[in-house]
Amino acid sequence: MSHMVQSLGVGLAQAFLLLIFAPLIVGIINKTKAILQKRQGASVLQEYFNLWKWWRKPVIVTPYTSRIFILAPAVYFGTTLMAAAMVPGLLVSILQSGSAGLSMGDAFVFVYLLALGRFFMTLGAMDSATAFGGMGASREIYISVLVEPAVMLAILVNAMRYQSTTLTRMVIDFDTFYFTVPAVLTCVAFFLVMLAENSRLPVDNPDTHLELTMIHECMTLEYSGRLLALIHLGSMLKILIFLVLFSTLYLPLAIPVALKVFFGALVIGVVETLNNKMRLFKVRVYLSAALILLIVSLIAE
Amino acid sequence: MENVKEIKLADLREEAKALSADGRHPLTAMFGRDETAMGRGYALYVMFEIPEEKRLAVLKAEMPADGDLRYDSLTPILPAAAWYEREIQDMFGLVPVGHPDPRPLVLHESFPKDYHPLRKQVSATASPRAQEGAGSEIKMSVAHGEGIYEVPVGPIHAGIIEPGHFRFSQAGESMLQLDAKLFFTHRGLEKVMEGKTPHEVLPIVERICGACSIANTWSFCQAVEKIAKVAVPKRAELIRTLLMEIERITNHVGDCGNIPAGVGFAPAISLGGRTKEMLMRLQERLAGNRFLRGFIVPGGVSMDITDKLRQDIRTTLAVVAENVEALDKMFAEQENFQNRICTTGIVRHQTAVDLALVGVGARASSFAHDSRQDFDYGSYPELDFSVVTQKSGDVAARLAVRIEELRQSFFMVSQLLERLDADHTELSVAVPAAAGEDFGISESARGSNLHFVALDEAGRIDRIFVRSASYPNWPALPIAVQGDIIPDFPLINKSFELCYACLDR
Repeated sequence: MSHMVQSLGVGLAQAFLLLIFAPLIVGIINKTKAILQKRQGASVLQEYFNLWKWWRKPVIVTPYTSRIFILAPAVYFGTTLMAAAMVPGLLVSILQSGSAGLSMGDAFVFVYLLALGRFFMTLGAMDSATAFGGMGASREIYISVLVEPAVMLAILVNAMRYQSTTLTRMVIDFDTFYFTVPAVLTCVAFFLVMLAENSRLPVDNPDTHLELTMIHECMTLEYSGRLLALIHLGSMLKILIFLVLFSTLYLPLAIPVALKVFFGALVIGVVETLNNKMRLFKVRVYLSAALILLIVSLIAE
Repeated sequence: MENVKEIKLADLREEAKALSADGRHPLTAMFGRDETAMGRGYALYVMFEIPEEKRLAVLKAEMPADGDLRYDSLTPILPAAAWYEREIQDMFGLVPVGHPDPRPLVLHESFPKDYHPLRKQVSATASPRAQEGAGSEIKMSVAHGEGIYEVPVGPIHAGIIEPGHFRFSQAGESMLQLDAKLFFTHRGLEKVMEGKTPHEVLPIVERICGACSIANTWSFCQAVEKIAKVAVPKRAELIRTLLMEIERITNHVGDCGNIPAGVGFAPAISLGGRTKEMLMRLQERLAGNRFLRGFIVPGGVSMDITDKLRQDIRTTLAVVAENVEALDKMFAEQENFQNRICTTGIVRHQTAVDLALVGVGARASSFAHDSRQDFDYGSYPELDFSVVTQKSGDVAARLAVRIEELRQSFFMVSQLLERLDADHTELSVAVPAAAGEDFGISESARGSNLHFVALDEAGRIDRIFVRSASYPNWPALPIAVQGDIIPDFPLINKSFELCYACLDR
């Protein structure tokens, strides 16, 4: 029981720590992109200013929406925050230093918490009955149908290796993990999936103002003020969660996690600069590639 | 004006059909004119290009002002006439009978019905507003069927662009049909220029379009000079041609940086943007403003391009040419980018001919329509260049035409600078006030730009008609997008780079 309370406390502490740094990570990605495009770019702290700006602005809700519209950002943010409590980060170091045998952070719960958040976001987008909301929701579901099995497979590869679906468990045994063929394949595949899941190039373009091409941003068009701030904070937190997950589970380098996350952000910036957005229906080819890599590594495992 | 054939209104369709020669002679323009002050009625002008003879052929039909204002629409036999006839209907109240789409074009719901601003009886300062719901309704054309939905976009857009409303009829992500409502910010420029001298309206002509001020001014000055029967000095022609090619380079480079913005291809966007800025600054050094305004005047040019400026052009364009090659390499090497632009937004050759498209939009569909070749003006007859065409008619083809035309323009500029080094004639001649009517045509970056000017006995403008390159090309956009998916629309739209202000004259 005390273990439960302890890990819950640690998990919550971790979630808030990640929350605080999430806008910084997005700031670092944006700065990297700006420098690579020979622009000065905004400060790495810009996302904090943006959040502050949205937080102070009034919320405008069309009278044609139901309660789902208000609920959706809260659910999206809440589920992402819960997922943030589960990723192996702080938890791992504390668990390693003593009490083992905790089962905090089941992989299935983690994946479907995020799915629940996305489900509510698509509901919220459709609730306002605007053309763009429906379009964005339809595209988001199309992509998530392809992304979800890939994320599950990536986690299953590790689950088979460690005979456990607990995220923390997978990392505790890190010492026995070397550069093997399945490890490298899952590393690449997870990176591809991470870009798709977080609406980054080449799947979605986070910078564009072109409503017709958007996916994630299309769903947020009707939101304003604090609701918008919640959605953006949730999305930024999700990027950080995935970077932490990537660093702890799939990037077996013996350097501090924070450093790995930083490098991960730089790599996203570079990849986004080098790529342009692919045709919407080509996304399935891109994600199939990730799926095939994962299946191969599963067999190899 | 030469080659004007006055015909009876009843014969208009037959005559037009014969002149068009199955599309070999593209429809250049069609416009109305109020001649009631001269004791006549309303006149319809229909202009065709005769490329093999490097001239225009003009049909002119009169109708009495107090009689029947209906005529047989040309659109069923000449699809390119569709917009012209709708505009004439708005501006003069001449009704094209049998027009497949007789909705108002220029005058939206906020204008009262039966208000025809280009009639002489209407004051240029009148600003009527229709009561709510009393104006003529413009119903957007949409597709119907199970599972088909509409996506309305604009007129206010997320980026800083001009107003236009697009209505997509969608089957999932596929665009079944697109209807565009444009002309939101009609400025009444043609009306406001009436009664003024060419010299007085020059600043207005320069500002019809921000991107094409040389093309507009040049066409206008050509018309005025033809009426006054003045020959422009050789050096002025060289400088005008040089400025036109610099304006083309600036626009094409800007477009090459803009098209990748449709797919978020960041390195190309920034290289294109930086290079365009270099050119804007070069233009500022040449003209004292970033848009080359104030350079071309009736009778010649107002400023010289000195030795120092010629050297400046050479060094700047050398860097620009390098950047263009780098851009081209970037496009070719980015497989993902090629994947987006190839087979996207196809305009077939027959469509280009039927709609009498101009400029890049025509040439990318292997329709070699280029005023620099089809007419004798400026220094083009003595320059070595070729008309660039592509076959595939897609976004990739329009991009490739621009890149190759940039190379041609660099070559032309070097030829022109050499000639300017040797030539030392005067810059301009006086243009006496004269009565008459004539046209001027020049190839802007977006395609042929036509001005028709009629001056009265006092040398004041009685009628001016401006048809810039975007006008004939806009109707091609809804055809190009059919069958493509809606996320590709911004890319297709950017590949045409159509101008809203050119419609809002």
